[in-house]
Amino acid sequence: MFRIRFHGRGGQGMKTASRILGTAFFLEGYEVQDAPRYGAERRGAPIFAFVRADRRPIQERGIIRQADLVVVADDSLVPVPAADVLAGCDANTVLLINSFQSAEVWRQRLNLQGPILTLPAMEDVEDRAELPYVGAACAGAAAGLSGVIGQTSLEQAIAEELGHLGAAVIAANLERASNAFQSLSEQAGLVKPGRTFSAEGWQTPDWIELPFEQADVSAPAIHAGLTSEAIKTGAWRTMRPLVDYARCNRCWWVCSTFCPDGAIRVDEERYPQIDYDHCKGCLICVAQCPPHAISAVAEHLAAEGVES
Amino acid sequence: MNETAFKNVKSLPSSHLLGTGTPMCAGCGGLEALHEIYDVLGEKSVFVNAAGCMTLLAVYPFTPFRGSWLYTAMASAPAGAQGIRDALDILKQKGEIEEEEDLQVVTLTGDGAAYGMGLSATSGVIERNLDFLYICYDNEGYGNTGQQYSGATPHGAKTATSLGLSGFAGYKKPLFDIWAAHRPAYVATVIGAEPLDLARKIEKAKSLKGPRLIIALSPCPTGWDFDPKESVNIGKLAVKSGVWPLKEYVDGQVVHTKLPTRRLPVVRYLETQGRFRHLFEPERQEGLLKEIQQRVDEYWAAVTC
Repeated sequence: MFRIRFHGRGGQGMKTASRILGTAFFLEGYEVQDAPRYGAERRGAPIFAFVRADRRPIQERGIIRQADLVVVADDSLVPVPAADVLAGCDANTVLLINSFQSAEVWRQRLNLQGPILTLPAMEDVEDRAELPYVGAACAGAAAGLSGVIGQTSLEQAIAEELGHLGAAVIAANLERASNAFQSLSEQAGLVKPGRTFSAEGWQTPDWIELPFEQADVSAPAIHAGLTSEAIKTGAWRTMRPLVDYARCNRCWWVCSTFCPDGAIRVDEERYPQIDYDHCKGCLICVAQCPPHAISAVAEHLAAEGVES
Repeated sequence: MNETAFKNVKSLPSSHLLGTGTPMCAGCGGLEALHEIYDVLGEKSVFVNAAGCMTLLAVYPFTPFRGSWLYTAMASAPAGAQGIRDALDILKQKGEIEEEEDLQVVTLTGDGAAYGMGLSATSGVIERNLDFLYICYDNEGYGNTGQQYSGATPHGAKTATSLGLSGFAGYKKPLFDIWAAHRPAYVATVIGAEPLDLARKIEKAKSLKGPRLIIALSPCPTGWDFDPKESVNIGKLAVKSGVWPLKEYVDGQVVHTKLPTRRLPVVRYLETQGRFRHLFEPERQEGLLKEIQQRVDEYWAAVTC
């Protein structure tokens, strides 16, 4: 059985990628499951989607722990614990990552035994997460790596899944998916179907019974406000707003008022201070600042200390 | 308004009361309005939240508020507010809390609850003259579940349940008029992109007793399909094109707080959003565009103050 997991951020099209791949497998005569999974968070938050495909009926349910292929549309997700990108990765797992960094860098960084590939990208973009139609490229790449999906099925799957979006959108997606599919043709079949697990021979683990806590311990009343600040939504950001204080005219209110998250504070000197632990990178401040004192820099460049 | 503390934009609050770290989408117009409202309203408030996007504001054990928050089913937030108001009044009567410990009871719902499911409960509490503040963040659809149409969806918009070439066949329900027809203490429309107008209205609402109801148009990057950084620009266009009239009802009178002297064509607003793209591509739908413009023109033709 093929077990394939897509990781991305809400809005990048991972759910659609899983649907396209699932339909393509189906057109090749496979039994298929595809499903997205995300928490309560939205656009920008980590999500994943998965596809199972087998020649026989699929009895497995639930999330894929041990995947044969893990596709990562946004490399900034790798260090995010909530994204759980590396869950169950072993020597048989192929990792396909959309990144400026080379596969070799990722191999060293992650110390993985399995093959690592980077997603071939046609466009030259500053922010890889903003790669146009990255979802279609991921689906095309996954189809190519499986070695069992023909280009015709891939194209038909895209036409079926995106049919409601109109001819222009289908054409653009087709182009990206086919490019990714073809550029990985030498690696076709690199992803091998994983073994089928069986419930036979399963033994009850040697549990240690942990009794439930009383409700007042396990779900205590909250006696403090502002506890949401413990959640670092700054990890959602792919572009970082940077203030050029020489240009800031200390208007006092524009960026600070319009920031939906209240992540910009004005200090005593009337300069804005951005709370990068919580800034989600919507870039409203960049769009609104009257003297254009705030610019957006790709997060990976900002982390390296590059200013625009 | 003569005695406002918000004389100009420089008097807007520079530090913010609402906590960061909420799971609202980047660029959420509803969160923007809420954090501006909370700054004026203050922390002596208790929120009663109906099911919707903002359900997620307070996911146990995390909350961005400084005070309490209560969660209700979609249609029941005004009823929840009634319960809290009554409980506070009883505690005051018994002398168990002092007057200065009293709280503003605030109902927070999306447009799905305000324009549809919860409208009957709202009508009921206005009838009973409940002393509370209702805030509706209106993103013109059931945004939390993938933007299906609601009673607030504008004519012609594409939603998850209006996919045809002409979009949503219905018309945005006149909730302001429906609320005002109940003759409550105060009704107002606001938008986060006009923070001074918003602050003055919340200030006024806070000073009054009885039912006070606010509708905040909330540009929604996810549901309306636009780049999150355009959120405020689109909000400003909604006002400048006359699509979202800023007005208030007080003492039996409706007064427009911002009269667009030279209204921008409505297409300037529509063309910024993916949910209206089918009106321009593959072919420009002149008939539908003309109808939308005409309805806005007719609205403003009837406005005198």
